[in-house]
Amino acid sequence: MSGNDARDEGNDGRVPPDSELSARLRRLESQIDRKRPPAAPGTSAGSKPSNGRSSLGQAMTLSTEFVAGVIAGGILGWIVDHVFGTKPWGLIVLLMLGFVAGVFNVMRASGFSGARSGRDGSPDA
Amino acid sequence: MAGSLDPAHQVALRPDPIHQFELKSILPFGHIGNQEIAFTQSALYMFAAVGVIALLTIVATSSRSVVPGRMQSLAEIFYEFIADTLHQATGDGGKRFMPLVFSLFMFVLILNMFGMIPYAFAVTSHLVVTFGLAALVISVVVIYGVMKHGTHFFGLFVPQGVPKPLLALLVPIEVISFISRPISLSVRLFANVLAGHIAMKIFAFFVVGLLSAGAWSVLSPLPLFLTIALTALEFLVAALQAYVFATLTAIYLNDALHPGH
Repeated sequence: MSGNDARDEGNDGRVPPDSELSARLRRLESQIDRKRPPAAPGTSAGSKPSNGRSSLGQAMTLSTEFVAGVIAGGILGWIVDHVFGTKPWGLIVLLMLGFVAGVFNVMRASGFSGARSGRDGSPDA
Repeated sequence: MAGSLDPAHQVALRPDPIHQFELKSILPFGHIGNQEIAFTQSALYMFAAVGVIALLTIVATSSRSVVPGRMQSLAEIFYEFIADTLHQATGDGGKRFMPLVFSLFMFVLILNMFGMIPYAFAVTSHLVVTFGLAALVISVVVIYGVMKHGTHFFGLFVPQGVPKPLLALLVPIEVISFISRPISLSVRLFANVLAGHIAMKIFAFFVVGLLSAGAWSVLSPLPLFLTIALTALEFLVAALQAYVFATLTAIYLNDALHPGH
């Protein structure tokens, strides 16, 4: 097999297609996985950015999520008012929807919502 | 008492925690309208960051030894860390976004770390910079999502298992929630860096202020210890925010890859 590998690397004029490359990577991965102990899936750090972080950091994250929702609603409302000439109403309605979106964001970021698994939670493979 | 201090001394004692974020033009190019266009120290730091990243990744891996040297293993640790994060968030299809996420992570990390050098300028403390990065991320998500899935991508805004009448309310909320993503992504990074640098500056100023306050100078070690602790915390925040930025980028890219949730 080693002779085969050496021939593959020497053959540099031809770039292997994407699928072949990923197939090779997967083969290598499974070989490595057999040698190293499996990581516990529940405790993986990447699935949720709030894992193992200081409560200050989490507070910062959640408040940012909320404020961002409100700001986004406000900007949208202002644009709608500007474009359609519906002076106060676009801002009022969309700002309120922005509050709701902010609360949604916070619920999603803190892992409360069950409605949308796979969004901010662990993605399906 | 106050009269004995000379004016210059008094100026030095005034706390000015915002001063460090001022842009200084190095090479002015002219004006567009009333806005001066110039090569500022912010741009200089960005170029320096790119240089450091290029040094770290290109030079360190140029030898390509099987047993990595010190620099090479550092570059490999960064690469594998981001590759793991991306793989966990997006699965197999996300591999093509590795260059984007890795560049973003390294750029933000190096800029944050530059900001921690005393007297250096923290580029990521400017909302324009972080919002530019976040806008890049979200436009990649939208453009790639529409290219790959067409109108099916907008199914992202329609939550499943919801009664039809509620959709009229929920779809606008989902749209606003989506629009709020680049805002929260940029504001989080910017606010953390800005608040941290201001807090460090203020506590450091307390040391000087107490030292010049007669008998109260006995207390001056207290804010000094706090400043040291805060500096350590800021190093943590600098690395953590770069990681959070990369993670959230990967999560958003996952929506572009698999919008059918």
